[in-house]
Amino acid sequence: MKLTRRLTLAAFAATLALGTAMPAFAADLIAIITPSHDNPFFKAEAVGAEAKAKELGYEALVLVHDDDANKQSQLIDTAIGRGAKAIILDNAGADASVAAVQKAKDAGIPSFLIDREINASGVAVSQIVSNNYQGAQLGAEEFVKLMGEKGNYVELVEYPDLKMVAQQSANWSQTEAYSKMETILQANPDIQGVIAGNDTMAMGAIAALQAAGKKDVIVVGFDGSNDVRDSIKSGGIKATVLQPAYAQAQMAVQQAHDYITSGKKPAEEKQLMDCVLINADNAGKLETFALAQ
Amino acid sequence: MHIRAVAMILLATAFALPGCKFVKTADQARNAAANAFDPDKAVADIWDSKVVPYLETRGAPIKDVLTLAATDVDAAGQKYGYKAKQGNAPWTFIARVDGVVVAEETKSRAAYVDVDVDGDAKADVRVSLGPAIRGTALRDSLDFIDFNSFKNQIEWAQFGKSFNTRVNDTVLSKLPRENLTGRKGPALGAYPLPASGQLPQLVPATITIGG
Repeated sequence: MKLTRRLTLAAFAATLALGTAMPAFAADLIAIITPSHDNPFFKAEAVGAEAKAKELGYEALVLVHDDDANKQSQLIDTAIGRGAKAIILDNAGADASVAAVQKAKDAGIPSFLIDREINASGVAVSQIVSNNYQGAQLGAEEFVKLMGEKGNYVELVEYPDLKMVAQQSANWSQTEAYSKMETILQANPDIQGVIAGNDTMAMGAIAALQAAGKKDVIVVGFDGSNDVRDSIKSGGIKATVLQPAYAQAQMAVQQAHDYITSGKKPAEEKQLMDCVLINADNAGKLETFALAQ
Repeated sequence: MHIRAVAMILLATAFALPGCKFVKTADQARNAAANAFDPDKAVADIWDSKVVPYLETRGAPIKDVLTLAATDVDAAGQKYGYKAKQGNAPWTFIARVDGVVVAEETKSRAAYVDVDVDGDAKADVRVSLGPAIRGTALRDSLDFIDFNSFKNQIEWAQFGKSFNTRVNDTVLSKLPRENLTGRKGPALGAYPLPASGQLPQLVPATITIGG
């Protein structure tokens, strides 16, 4: 009760300050809301968006919703209360986020979505979506090639000579992936390949495999983190798939800037961003979720 | 107690009747199924009427496409291909392949033939024979289809995959799989801009392997 009142008051004060006492020289604000920065992928998004916002003369308000739709809704309120000119959002759920983005729109604040999409159009101004299917296919095809189309592996379909022996959720977490991999290895000591849904889990899996002396197991990740890049370069993990987190966050801020200054919307709301396969051939060019040309 | 509760519910139902419309459970399930996205049907609905005519109209000899793309990719893309207005997808080119098979890989699930189209006995294009087909080139070559008219990227991906399924079922699965080298392989299809130094990987919409 007390907390609610204090928040309401704070929001009120913020609105007041904007309405009456905002100094003429204060920069316009862009809110940047993503999942937790514990995953370097989301950190790269926030860093990329913040750098671009500052470059274009904005102040940045960087927030994390921890994949909690309620928290995300509160953060949208904060952005509205602070009078943000735009919201850059990697959202907390395709259905659950629609209302939050609509709320911002109703308050006159345009949203520019990155990475994940929402199941509605016409609510956000743009949705710059990671093409996960295309990326997953890149990773899977590389995995199949590395495995020679046969063997025992963890996860995947379509190639009958590849046999899935285990499929486990490790909640995107490195430590959880490590312990799950240890358990899988006990049941399947002859495992030959592992596909991980993100790079932090791939790091957990490779650590468990190396600890068990399994040096020849093929591990493929997803995201394109610097940790996995270094593992590829030292002959550990074999490949990952880069989602251009940094570039798409910067693109969203540029589109927000265009919209704020000229009212110009992108030609299409939903914009697919293709992923890039990273292996020993190009790992050296990868830095903070961006590939040097 | 229980009986009275049941009676009251019945009563309430009886009162509510005039404004209600009864829907059989089976009808409900049928309606839900009708509303659910069916990617195979979505492709079947446009394949003969729109997709094949579009590819036939736009498909140029691959030699011409490769020649122009070598000097000006964007000019080649505008003339012979398509890409979404936004995002970072590469050009997808539409091309006719008319040449001789110079190499074959039919042991892999992602089978293919390499075709020479300019008579130098070297491969100019790799034509997918499935059943595993990489990418979504056929979908991505169509200028009358847009990601924005789909609910989300999952349905968009299913739709893209259904093009490959259709080609596999109706065309590729009927092709011979042995001694293809030296035979003629006229095909019409699409391929995404290849990485430098790599052969274009064409997904055929129509193909025959002749003598």
